[in-house]
Amino acid sequence: MGNSEIRERLLKELNEGVVEYDEERVKKAALEVLDKGLNVYDAVMNGLAAGMEKVGELYDQQEYFVPELLMCADALYAGLDILKPHIRLEDLGDKPKGQVVIGTVQGDVHDIGKNIIKMMFEVAGFTVHDLGRDVPLEKFVEEQLRTDAEIVALSAMMTTTMMGMKKVVEMIKERNPNVAIMLGGAPVTRDTADLFGADGYAESAGNAVQEAIKMIGRLREMQNR
Amino acid sequence: MAKMSLRDRFWNRFTGKDTDMTPVGCTTTYGVIALMKKCGHERPAADTDPVAMTELALAGPSYAGFEWVKAMGWDITALSDAMGCTLGTPKIDLQYFIKAHPYAESIDGLEFPKDFLQRGRFPAYKEHFRLLKEKVGDTMIIFGESEGAFTCAANLVGTEQFMKWCMKEPQKVEKVLEVTKEAAVAAANFAFDNGADYYVFAEPTSGPALLSPRIYKKFVLPVEKEIFKRVKGPVVLHICANTDPIIELMCETGAAGISIEEKADMKRAVEIAHQSGVKVFGNVSTAVTIFQGKPDAVYEESRQALNNGTDFLCPGCGIAPNSPLENLLQLKKARDDHFNA
Repeated sequence: MGNSEIRERLLKELNEGVVEYDEERVKKAALEVLDKGLNVYDAVMNGLAAGMEKVGELYDQQEYFVPELLMCADALYAGLDILKPHIRLEDLGDKPKGQVVIGTVQGDVHDIGKNIIKMMFEVAGFTVHDLGRDVPLEKFVEEQLRTDAEIVALSAMMTTTMMGMKKVVEMIKERNPNVAIMLGGAPVTRDTADLFGADGYAESAGNAVQEAIKMIGRLREMQNR
Repeated sequence: MAKMSLRDRFWNRFTGKDTDMTPVGCTTTYGVIALMKKCGHERPAADTDPVAMTELALAGPSYAGFEWVKAMGWDITALSDAMGCTLGTPKIDLQYFIKAHPYAESIDGLEFPKDFLQRGRFPAYKEHFRLLKEKVGDTMIIFGESEGAFTCAANLVGTEQFMKWCMKEPQKVEKVLEVTKEAAVAAANFAFDNGADYYVFAEPTSGPALLSPRIYKKFVLPVEKEIFKRVKGPVVLHICANTDPIIELMCETGAAGISIEEKADMKRAVEIAHQSGVKVFGNVSTAVTIFQGKPDAVYEESRQALNNGTDFLCPGCGIAPNSPLENLLQLKKARDDHFNA
């Protein structure tokens, strides 16, 4: 079997392992990628990330729901844990490597949606600074300034905690108007995001996944050029 | 038809008899700051103090035009609290919320406590029911509310973990539900024993925003069927988000009524529910219209819910604390106009 055939087979294994949330299958394929000396970044982007792209579609079509998504995430991370330490800087080249500060705002402990979005950003090659849940509002500002991240993603599940997002947007824009701020969570609408002065909005987990997938898509396009 | 008493209007509609008009009110939480200011009893005192809780409950009918009254406070954590979850500190504009999950590490030792009704806020609820019943008498319907068994189960072990168990460790899901089922039955029967006319189980965690209809059918439906059969009075099942894919299943639980959000299709829900005699509550948007919209928009959405056949004109979910009183009043205004009352 030639190298390209091995590559195709392993990419398929990684992809399907993620879609079918089969952690063992993903781990085995990831180890084989290392063993065969294949391009690790290629395996991540065109194997694992492509699998998550499919998962996002299945979620959008209501074939998959949150439990399935969480299982797929476990399979994805099982692969990433093995492959990520072996990604070489030269593989990344000039590809965009954005940074995201993400968290669920103060008073809100719902973080499943936030964790899913975080995962999608990670898959897309972003460096993610996850502040967790119930995050004091000033912490978002401090972390953005510390890391100089281009994107700040805020999540809230309740109408009460949602109002905290408005304050964060104001505080960040005051210090650094060039930061792109993305809002998401059950009570948030596009109108709310506009009203709060945010730059981006995710209607639902599915929509946010789609947004992140677009980013992956763009990244892969650039990589494949 | 002659104008009916508030109690008869509700109960006739609930039991499928004739009414003069569609009842208007709220079958979810209404811990609204404007109502607190009106009645002089604010949260967090109104979360635990029976007098403050009762006065705020009565503020719904007194100041917002609601035609029935809610018991058991302003959040959906009562079962989880009594089962040992750590709660976050409530404020005037922030409900109690789940802060930590006592069985996240292991479910060994998880059992239904014999002193369940002496735990958490149940003793305060008992006095609150007495005060409420004393004030309301037979003039209005009273309902109790808490989270349901599935949502409580997810609170006990952590929602993310519970979701994964639904996929790969069903026996653990069943084991936790066995316990929370008992908690749900005990809480509802406590409410009925203390004067509630009906009981609402809020099950946000079981809705299609998280679970597939397949998992709902496998884990949630059988448990709800059993609970609703064992409790002493009628149950209304509230589930958030777009419940279109599970309306049939919600109606199969044995609930007397279902409560739905604006994301769900009211017209379709009514068609399905009425086939089995189930009543539908809803579905004016809380997060968008009642909270952030203009009064006209709330009025329009209320008229739309009536046109779509809602049996009880209500907000689609718990009302956001900072919602304006004027917006709340639009529900009754729309109902009165609709029926030329």
